[in-house]
Formats: sequence, structure tokens, C-alpha cells
Amino acid sequence: MYNWVKKYFHVLVLIFAAQGFIASSAFAKEPGYYGLGRIATEEEIAGWDIDIRPDGQGLPVGSGSVSQGEGIFDAKCAVCHGDFGEGEGRWPALAGGIGTLTEDRPEKTVGSYWPYASTLWDYIHRAMPFTAPQSLTDNETYALTAYVLYLNEIIDDEDFVLSRDNFAEIEMPNKDGFFIDNRPDVINIACMENCKDPSKIKVTSAIKGITPLKHLEQTAAETENKVDSTKRGMGVYEQSCAMCHDSGLAGAPIVGDNKLWVDRIAQGMELLVEHATNGFTGDAGMMPAKGGNPSLSEEDLVAAVEYMVSQSR
Amino acid sequence: MKVKAKMKKGLVVVKVLAKHPMETGMRKDKKTDELIPAKYIQELICKHQDKVVFEANFGRAISKNPYVAFSFKGGQSGDTLSLTWVDNTGETKAVEAVIK
Repeated sequence: MYNWVKKYFHVLVLIFAAQGFIASSAFAKEPGYYGLGRIATEEEIAGWDIDIRPDGQGLPVGSGSVSQGEGIFDAKCAVCHGDFGEGEGRWPALAGGIGTLTEDRPEKTVGSYWPYASTLWDYIHRAMPFTAPQSLTDNETYALTAYVLYLNEIIDDEDFVLSRDNFAEIEMPNKDGFFIDNRPDVINIACMENCKDPSKIKVTSAIKGITPLKHLEQTAAETENKVDSTKRGMGVYEQSCAMCHDSGLAGAPIVGDNKLWVDRIAQGMELLVEHATNGFTGDAGMMPAKGGNPSLSEEDLVAAVEYMVSQSR
Repeated sequence: MKVKAKMKKGLVVVKVLAKHPMETGMRKDKKTDELIPAKYIQELICKHQDKVVFEANFGRAISKNPYVAFSFKGGQSGDTLSLTWVDNTGETKAVEAVIK
């Protein structure tokens, strides 16, 4: 009990403290400022902003040679990636596999698959070694990048020195293996000027029965000035009435079953609409007001009743 | 063929990756349904100052791109190793590597 009170008391104090905090700081600042957080410092942004783009944007000043890279690779990378980048066990292979992309078992490596060398620099710098990511210096990263390219025979010279200045000269073998998907249904260009008037766009066909399309039919009906009342009534019916009137749930007269409707229709449209609007409880069952959907407009409701009557005559 | 040779406690440690398809001759091409002709390394020899320090006889059971590691005594940093493989079609490949 005591603990509970203590806990509760703390919560109360917190709430009051929070209210005081909001009152004192938030309303004093410009609108939209909630008194939370602070602006990131430049050092913090620099710590996050480490991506390297295909054109080399983002590369820091530095350099490293293939032979330097070999030493670092043997010490820190070869245990998983293998002495020649062939991959130990199930660890990723870094080299080889050129020409296998169309085979049953494509071997995706830096040399066979990757389109840009910048990804290599970025990835090594960001995520490697696996046990100590971001522990490599910029120069070490340049050296390792050069060495992995050497393992892939993209660089042949063992004395090659990779730096920011000659980075753009590296061409990856699979550079042209990537292209923009040209299947028709993936191109969806947003219209920015001289666009079609949305009110004149009509839904001309739709595959029925897979996804709910009532909202589309409704929108089309709403935007068109001459509303086809039968169609509108059908839309409303399917959305708000069909659940009971299709199956006879709660004693609802099934639409299309003439026997159930003859007497009801004989009572006149006015009474039917009135019962539908305000609800009605009879011998057969119970009709909730507006079919349980209070947002229905009167016109929609009338259209639905007319539709149901027309289907049940 | 890629070679790494290093001095370690008086021994020369050599690691070799031979780039070779190592076809057994028993695999079928799925599209043409014909056998892919055998092509595999039969012999790999490493020489140090014209003396054979390592010799391996490979068969069909060796995997694609075979990796071999061995060590020997008597080498020194800066010496040159020459490695050669010969496959069953008679194709051969020779490389030289400097002990580091």
C-alpha cells in the first residue's frame, strides 16, 4: 500500500512538474516550439553525415595504397572475408563471381555486382570491421578500398595509391548492370501543369470483388452533376444496408425477395423512408435508424430505399 | 592464381588461390542437356630456387577456385617463389611471388 501511494505521488508530482514546465517555457517561445530537444551541433551533424555518393561527394581528404591495404586486410578482414576475399565459411565473399549474375547461383561480390566504388568506401567506413565499426581511419579506409578493388582485379598495380582525387576514375565492371525499371506500371509521373480536371475523370472500368471500390463509385457519383440515382442507391445500399438486407440478418427483408417486400412496398415510400430514417421495430425484426450509419444524408438514404424497392418489386 | 607468401617464425607460409572452374565432366548443361566437358587442375607445383617445395595432385573432387595453404623451411624474405598448375586439357598457368 505504501509503495503504491509513493508511486502514485511521484506520478502526480511529475504531472504538475510537466504542467509547470509547459506553462513556463513553451508558451513563451514561437508557435510550434514545444520546449523539447535542442538544435544539433555541427560536430553531431558531421558524425551522422558520412555517406559517400557515387560521384565521390562526401569523400574526405586522404589516401591509401594497395600494399597498405593488404596489411590491414590480413589483420582485420581476412578472418571472415578470406585471404583472397573468397569468404570464410558463410561470411560474404568480396571477390570473384564475375559473369555469374545470370546463372542459377549468382555470386554477388564487389567485382561482379556493385555498380559504384563509392559504396565500398562508404560501407567499409560505416560498418567494418564487423566487431568494431567506424574504427578505421580515413586513410585506412582508402587503403582497404584499394585492396578490395585489387582483389577483384579492378586495380592491377600493387603500388596503386587511391585518394579522393583519383577515386572517380575507378570503373566497376557491373556499372551498366543497373537500369531504371521499364515496366509500364512502375512509371507514375506526377502531373504538375496542364493537368486533367479531376472532376472530369471517370472510372471507366474496375475489377470487381477484389478490393472495396464503393468509395470510388461514390466519389464518381458525387463529382458528377447528374447523379444516377440507381447507381447511387446501390452504392449506399452496399455500404450501409447490405450487411443485413443481403442475408436477412436481424429479420431484415432480403432485397430481391419479392414475397417479403410486397406488403412493405404497399405501405408507400414515405413510410419506408421514415422507418429507415428513424428506425423501426416490427414483428419481423429491428431496423436501426439509418441502418446504424448516422452520417448518411437524406438523399443517400432515399436513393438506397428506392434502390432496394426497385430490386424487390 | 593469387599467392601470398610470408615469413612466420622461420617458416615461409604460402597461401594460394587458383582461379579455375574445376569442371568434373559429369555436370549437365541445363539448357542444352549436354555434358559439360571436364576441366580440372591435375598438378600444382611450387618451386623455391628451382627446388620443388610443394606438389599437389588434384582430381575432380576438388572444388572450384581451389585454395591451398602450406609452409616450408629454408626460404627467406625477398626470395621468389614460382608456382604452376597444369589442368587435364593441358592448359597451364605460372605465377611468381615474392616472400614478404
